[in-house]
Amino acid sequence: MPTDVERWKDEVYGEEIRGHLFEFAEAGWDAIPDEEHDAWFERFKWWGLYHQRKGQESYFMLRIGTPNGVLEPGQLETVAEVADEYARGPADNPEFGAAYCDWTTRQSIQLHWITLEDVPDIFETLEAAGLSTKQACGDSWRNIVGCPVAGKDTHEHVDAWPVAEELHETFKGDDDYANLPRKWKVSVTGCDQGCGQGDINDLAFEPAERDGELGFNVRLGGGLARKEPRFARDVDVWVPEEKVTDVAAAATELFDDYGDRENRYNARMKFLVDEWGAEKVRSVLQEEYVDWELESAGDDLREQYTYNAGGDEHGDHVGVHQQPDGNYYVGLNVLVGRMGVDDVAELAALADEYGSGEVRLTQRQNVVVTDVPEATLDDFLAEPLLENYSPDPHPFMRGSIACTGTEYCSLSIVETKNRQVRYARWLKDNVDVPEGVTDFHVHLSGCTASCAQPQIADVSLRGMKTRKDGEPVEALDVGLGGGLGEHPRFADWVEMRVPADEVPGYIRNLLEAYVAEREERDVPEDRRQRDGDAVEYETFREFVARRDEDALQGLADPEETSYEDPYMHNTKTTWYPYADEDDLDASPAPTDGSGEPLSVDD
Amino acid sequence: MADRVLDVNAYTTFTLLDGELAGHGWRTDAPAVLNVTTGGDDEVVLELELDNTATDDVPSHADRVALSPGEARDLAAELESYAGRAED
Repeated sequence: MPTDVERWKDEVYGEEIRGHLFEFAEAGWDAIPDEEHDAWFERFKWWGLYHQRKGQESYFMLRIGTPNGVLEPGQLETVAEVADEYARGPADNPEFGAAYCDWTTRQSIQLHWITLEDVPDIFETLEAAGLSTKQACGDSWRNIVGCPVAGKDTHEHVDAWPVAEELHETFKGDDDYANLPRKWKVSVTGCDQGCGQGDINDLAFEPAERDGELGFNVRLGGGLARKEPRFARDVDVWVPEEKVTDVAAAATELFDDYGDRENRYNARMKFLVDEWGAEKVRSVLQEEYVDWELESAGDDLREQYTYNAGGDEHGDHVGVHQQPDGNYYVGLNVLVGRMGVDDVAELAALADEYGSGEVRLTQRQNVVVTDVPEATLDDFLAEPLLENYSPDPHPFMRGSIACTGTEYCSLSIVETKNRQVRYARWLKDNVDVPEGVTDFHVHLSGCTASCAQPQIADVSLRGMKTRKDGEPVEALDVGLGGGLGEHPRFADWVEMRVPADEVPGYIRNLLEAYVAEREERDVPEDRRQRDGDAVEYETFREFVARRDEDALQGLADPEETSYEDPYMHNTKTTWYPYADEDDLDASPAPTDGSGEPLSVDD
Repeated sequence: MADRVLDVNAYTTFTLLDGELAGHGWRTDAPAVLNVTTGGDDEVVLELELDNTATDDVPSHADRVALSPGEARDLAAELESYAGRAED
């Protein structure tokens, strides 16, 4: 029996949704019949619009898909203008103000408090700048991710940016690929660091050499969502650059035909690969979807991957790095990926002044300003904006990622972004960074949907509830030791329902245990020249990996500290967690296009 | 093992209930997740998971039962009835 979503998609989906969207925008929010809300909200996702959660009716999150995270000159300025004019809601965020932009873990942009009535003007402004919300959400090709400095990276073997661009142009808006069984996430990487995070995508192209030619190996069926994380499986296929689009089309068609449209839980590619195995996936791809002989996998570069591999890494792109053309790219840390709109406008202006105007977004929620000449690099680094968005951040600031959380999201059960900001600041002020640690990743996701990618962090935090002093409070499940690299590893879940205000104390105690118990080892000779030391400590990830479950649970205890958490109450049941009057009854929503409350009986 | 089996999000019916694991000769209190959802073939699914960190007596797991719409209504009526008694 088809699901409700499949029925709704059969009726109206893809490009045609736009006409309906504009009609509703013209007629106003309350023109959408109540009984059709679920159907239309599901369809609007295809055009990048997610209806915000209970208590925020009539307001939408708007997602702009920027392929490979690339914002061409002038585009960031447009994003700032749109956020400034349209992404202002009825209440301010105490950390970020009245309007801001979120950089996501899939190199996209999210704005909040968007009203339906403004959508036509927003689309016109974005599209005039070459930006689009098309297929940013929904059951189709999502934003294509990859190495954010593709084409500007000395670690690069293949320039994957033209490949990502071609995939974007081919599969966005093509009706044949507009309605898939479920979302379809694709990664393309050409560098030797693994920063495309191909392992957690439905379809991944990773650099590989075959018979002396550089191209891509293909992996299928990765993903983190729900309680079933999978790394993408090697299907033993290598493609030259010119065949990438054909193979991508073939894999998409296979998923379209064989993905489970009767059960959305099972609809992701990872479950089809589970069911069939990589060998059958390859043979079906060969026999039914391509008309040439697929070549077997080439020699990959995975043993060189440093991105989120547990040790020192360049792959998060924070810092100052020289491009092959002699200019520099400067990766700036954006705590939890959120920037106030004035800062976004300033960043756009600085990118224009010092670089080419291009700005790129990373999968660690950070930004990269490219093409800065050596002559003006120091002046750029001295700009006041970089005090808050540092190219050399403290490890706890650098490693912090958070999803949207109960501020706006219908799925989350805990507050996330502001809490993670407070965690990072407290850790920075109160916990010594263990000697030798430059990156320490703490990812906070509000539920099992895993938008903050918690399973691939040193410390994985996932929203839960517990009882403390007799009262229900927000809590987090805790996992340890996840990451990517040559041998990716999902976190081991160690603690359940830790009260949110005891998590910083837990992390402090955990790091103290790591410092006390970690092992030293000889540094391989070829690496000794770099830092001169003959011994080094095992990484936190290695420290976790060699311990069993009982040992991990005995490492540290949660503890109350000087950390204060203003979001311990059930923020899911507020209309907005930071409002002075936060009860659902105090919500002004739904409102008309000008922000005036509408009677719910209208 | 501290890894949950069930998804937990804002649509989960109850994310924090007081539960109890019981076997022959043993009982252990544990927080619980209880959820109602739809299954395939016109089913209602009731699923329950008790936090596994509370015990070593059973492996990490969740329990599910499928109910027909009629059975789900019978259950709802029973719950309603017993809720009334509990309040009396």
